[in-house]
Amino acid sequence: MTTLVVLSVVDIVLLIAGLAIYLFIVGGQLERVATNLEECSELVGKIVRDAEVIEPGVERINRTGGVIAGALPLLYGMAEGIVTGATYEPAASTERAPARPASGRRRSRLHDAVGYAPGRRATAAVASPSPSEDEATS
Amino acid sequence: MLLALTDTQESLWWGAVIGGFAVVLAVAALLTILVLLVRDIDRRVVEIRGTLQQAAANTSDTVLIAETATRVDAVLAEGLEHHLFLGRVLGKVRS
Repeated sequence: MTTLVVLSVVDIVLLIAGLAIYLFIVGGQLERVATNLEECSELVGKIVRDAEVIEPGVERINRTGGVIAGALPLLYGMAEGIVTGATYEPAASTERAPARPASGRRRSRLHDAVGYAPGRRATAAVASPSPSEDEATS
Repeated sequence: MLLALTDTQESLWWGAVIGGFAVVLAVAALLTILVLLVRDIDRRVVEIRGTLQQAAANTSDTVLIAETATRVDAVLAEGLEHHLFLGRVLGKVRS
């Protein structure tokens, strides 16, 4: 009977001690989990506050960007008009041909003045120079 | 004072003691499972906290979006100025 009493006491003590130890361990773990979850809650709140400004800001940027994208073709159309209007275009009729004297090739009269006629005798050259000789001398 | 037990009472007591040990073992097993599960939860919560810290770091600069929108509006205003200037110049060039 003494054995039964001792075993009963040991049984009860083991049950109470086991429960106490395990509850202590689980309590510590749950306290750590609660601390982490509280920090997670604060982080979620911070993320929500940061994310609240994203949507209106992006909508505003998209709206303004759309206006800019729609206005740019008008701007470069006007710029093309300015470039076209300000570029110098010479008239086609103003292009000059090479300058030629209206009287044809000039003939030098210096040789005639001194009585020189190359390729002919001096007496004949002085008397009457022929047109073919004029071309040769010029 | 000494209590005398009958054989039946003693057998029942032994049964209760053995049952009590079994209950202690079962409670220990169940509490071990509970501790393991809570430890798993704790580890997952730590991972979630790390992920949330990264997300918070990624979203910490969202205040710059409003500033960017203001600057884009300034670009639009400058574009309108360019429009007016080009309109004036284009009128002079055409005339």
